[in-house]
Amino acid sequence: MPGAGLVLAGVGYRYAGASAAALVSIDLRLEPGRVVGLAGANESGKSTLCLVVAGLAPGVIGGRLDGSVRVDGVETKAMRPHELAQRCGLLFQNAATQLSGTTSTVFEEIAFGPCNLGLPGAEVVSRVWWALRAAGIEPLAPRDPARLSGGQAQLVALASVLALRPGYLVLDEPTSELDPAGTRLVADALARIARETGAGILVVEHKTDVLAQIADEVVVLERGAVALSGPAAATLADPRLLALGVEPPAAVRLERAVRASGIEWSQALAEAIG
Amino acid sequence: MIPADEEALLPAYVRRILAGGYRSLNPLTKATLAAVSAIVAFGVRGWTGPAVVLAVVLSSALVAGVLRRMAPFALATLPLVASILLVNTFLYPNAHDVIANLGPLSPTWTGATAALQATLRVVAFGLSAALFALTTPIDDLLGELERRGVGRRGSFIVGSALGAIPRTVERAREVVDAQRSRGMDTEGRLWRRFRGLVPLIGPVLFGALAEVEERTMALEARAFTAPGRRTILRALPDSGWQRAARWLLLVGSIAAVVVSLAGVVKLP
Amino acid sequence: MGLLTRWVRRQFTTRVIVLMPVAIAINIVLGYTVQNVLKLPIYVDSIGTILVGCVAGPLPGALTGILSNLIWQYAPGIGGSSIGPFAVTAGVIGFMAGIWGYLGVFRSRPATGLRLIVPAAIAVAIIVVLAARMYTIPQYNDPNAGNYPNWVYAAIVVIGASASVAVALFVYLRRDAAGAWVAVAGALTGVVAAIVSAPIAAVVYGGVTGSGTDFVVAALRQGGADVYNASLGQGLLSDPIDKTITSFVVFLILAGVSSRVLARFPLGDRLVHVDAEPARSPEPTGTPSDS
Repeated sequence: MPGAGLVLAGVGYRYAGASAAALVSIDLRLEPGRVVGLAGANESGKSTLCLVVAGLAPGVIGGRLDGSVRVDGVETKAMRPHELAQRCGLLFQNAATQLSGTTSTVFEEIAFGPCNLGLPGAEVVSRVWWALRAAGIEPLAPRDPARLSGGQAQLVALASVLALRPGYLVLDEPTSELDPAGTRLVADALARIARETGAGILVVEHKTDVLAQIADEVVVLERGAVALSGPAAATLADPRLLALGVEPPAAVRLERAVRASGIEWSQALAEAIG
Repeated sequence: MIPADEEALLPAYVRRILAGGYRSLNPLTKATLAAVSAIVAFGVRGWTGPAVVLAVVLSSALVAGVLRRMAPFALATLPLVASILLVNTFLYPNAHDVIANLGPLSPTWTGATAALQATLRVVAFGLSAALFALTTPIDDLLGELERRGVGRRGSFIVGSALGAIPRTVERAREVVDAQRSRGMDTEGRLWRRFRGLVPLIGPVLFGALAEVEERTMALEARAFTAPGRRTILRALPDSGWQRAARWLLLVGSIAAVVVSLAGVVKLP
Repeated sequence: MGLLTRWVRRQFTTRVIVLMPVAIAINIVLGYTVQNVLKLPIYVDSIGTILVGCVAGPLPGALTGILSNLIWQYAPGIGGSSIGPFAVTAGVIGFMAGIWGYLGVFRSRPATGLRLIVPAAIAVAIIVVLAARMYTIPQYNDPNAGNYPNWVYAAIVVIGASASVAVALFVYLRRDAAGAWVAVAGALTGVVAAIVSAPIAAVVYGGVTGSGTDFVVAALRQGGADVYNASLGQGLLSDPIDKTITSFVVFLILAGVSSRVLARFPLGDRLVHVDAEPARSPEPTGTPSDS
């Protein structure tokens, strides 16, 4: 589809009142149905990039943007926050602060977004059920959002953003406050959403194992600029990763350790580890 | 308002229609009753006002089946009631009709009467607030208010505040426990209690404020600032007679206060 | 009418809408803890109100105060107290905090030498004048009206003196002249709050409210004060202290928040120094730290 995709071209960003630029000359392309992983050391600009991709910077928080950010051909600079929300959804680490805190059931929590848009009741209900299915949390619909586990709450937050039917999703370290079970829930949901709904997903993660599992492409930032980018498997095996402050995935580390001790590394071994 | 056939699409746990003679009333009606009770209990001078309010409140509570659950609320007014009775009976200014001569702290009939009246008012008001709290989920009231034009922001503020209270209590409790393990006094002398207060405020406040950033962005990401009227999923039943009754109660209560203050009709 | 609507809308940005529930919860939780659990003779239920007032404006401040009282009274689980009718006072406190916010009272003013001493001296002078005014109001002196016992006068002198010393110390130790203005703003707010609350307490509750301050009321009545004046006298002793402490707490909180974050609130430009570049945006919101 021509013109489809979330495209950053030569993007630089400086926060209001800051002297140094947070992002420098970034080129990035997010295709529908693909998962792009974003990694990098602390203060490398990952969160800022999330805000820029989703259009909240400079649209909502001010600051100066150089270059262009286009969603399916349309510049995000001109869009209002509620229009942006319907094109590109944004999720943060802390699930609790993303729940509205005003609803008593997960169903109504997910309906929060579509209701804000003033959609007719039947449309709201159908979107809620769609989002519940997409995130895989239909059984949670009658539950109280305040009493969910970390992983469940994060999935509810994901579903409530999905209910706005954005074409793209940006997630800033969604599993950082979750235990391994919760991490697995969220990672599986993301992969499934990209596959089944065709949304383009940008996910920031320190846990490179998650990226190895679900990302098609990986970009590594250093001091606000792109240091590495390419297909996930190759980029995650790149020897420069550690120097950039990113821990390679367990499989890569194991392979290196095995080779370093002189043992033959065979394909069967790699597949056995998975 | 969503039409009846769409209503059927909502699961029961979302529709949450209350049953029962009193509870099934529209939340605006129940809120009006609470407001009117407050106005009459405090505004109408003498015994009649609060007595009427108390009677109405207690009988409504009986109909709604919450009479027993009002007991803790009644008990909660005890410190205030005790204070009113003691301070006013024994220390009422310019009262000379002494009940028993105990020197400078003699109880007086005038004081006792004023104390009992004030007590009746406080209890009537307190129980009317309790009746409202026990029979009206705030969600329902906020939804109805929003339908009638209060707007999404007002409804969000109140709804979110109610959710924020237990969260803040939890945070405060954690801080208090941490302080107590370091020796803070919650019972002891005044000075100690003051000193224990200071380290409590800081962490609670900063913790609460730290959330504001992300919550604001999360709201924008859910199209909170979209223009137009927000869809209200749950339509609660209302009726013509309830609407009429609400206006009647409001106007009537204000009239009763005015009449009472003007001294036109002297009620006991 | 357009100007008024715009003024109203400017004060209620999304960020303010998010802050208000948090502030309401702070008011209720801290107020409940201090009044009902610790049973101290102060209120500490206006920190949120004053905070919202000075960062957002008079209307959000007033609304925060009013809603705090109403929710405290009518919410299940914490109700049963006597706080509801004092929503009027809370509204006034929030409104005044908004005015102080417009005047930039809570902006940090680092200074040294004379520029530090002069505001401190003015603040001390204002406190002394306020105390003297209270000392000499007719209610306190006219045996037919107030008839307060002697210890009240001693209390006023002690409070006035210690307040002056505390303010002067604060200004000196933090090298911040704003302390003086915060103290004056707090004291004035307290006086107004007392004047507004007294008739409510007297008429609605017969003069007492079931909190720690009732002992003061009883003592005043014992000295011969009537219902209204006992409430007023108690208010004038408790409220200025409480509101001054609250204002200082708010001031210290604001000092601990980064100016980038403060600048995004409606009154942000009055809270930070002019050389910090504020965010240029229609709907100010926040930013996470870079990671």
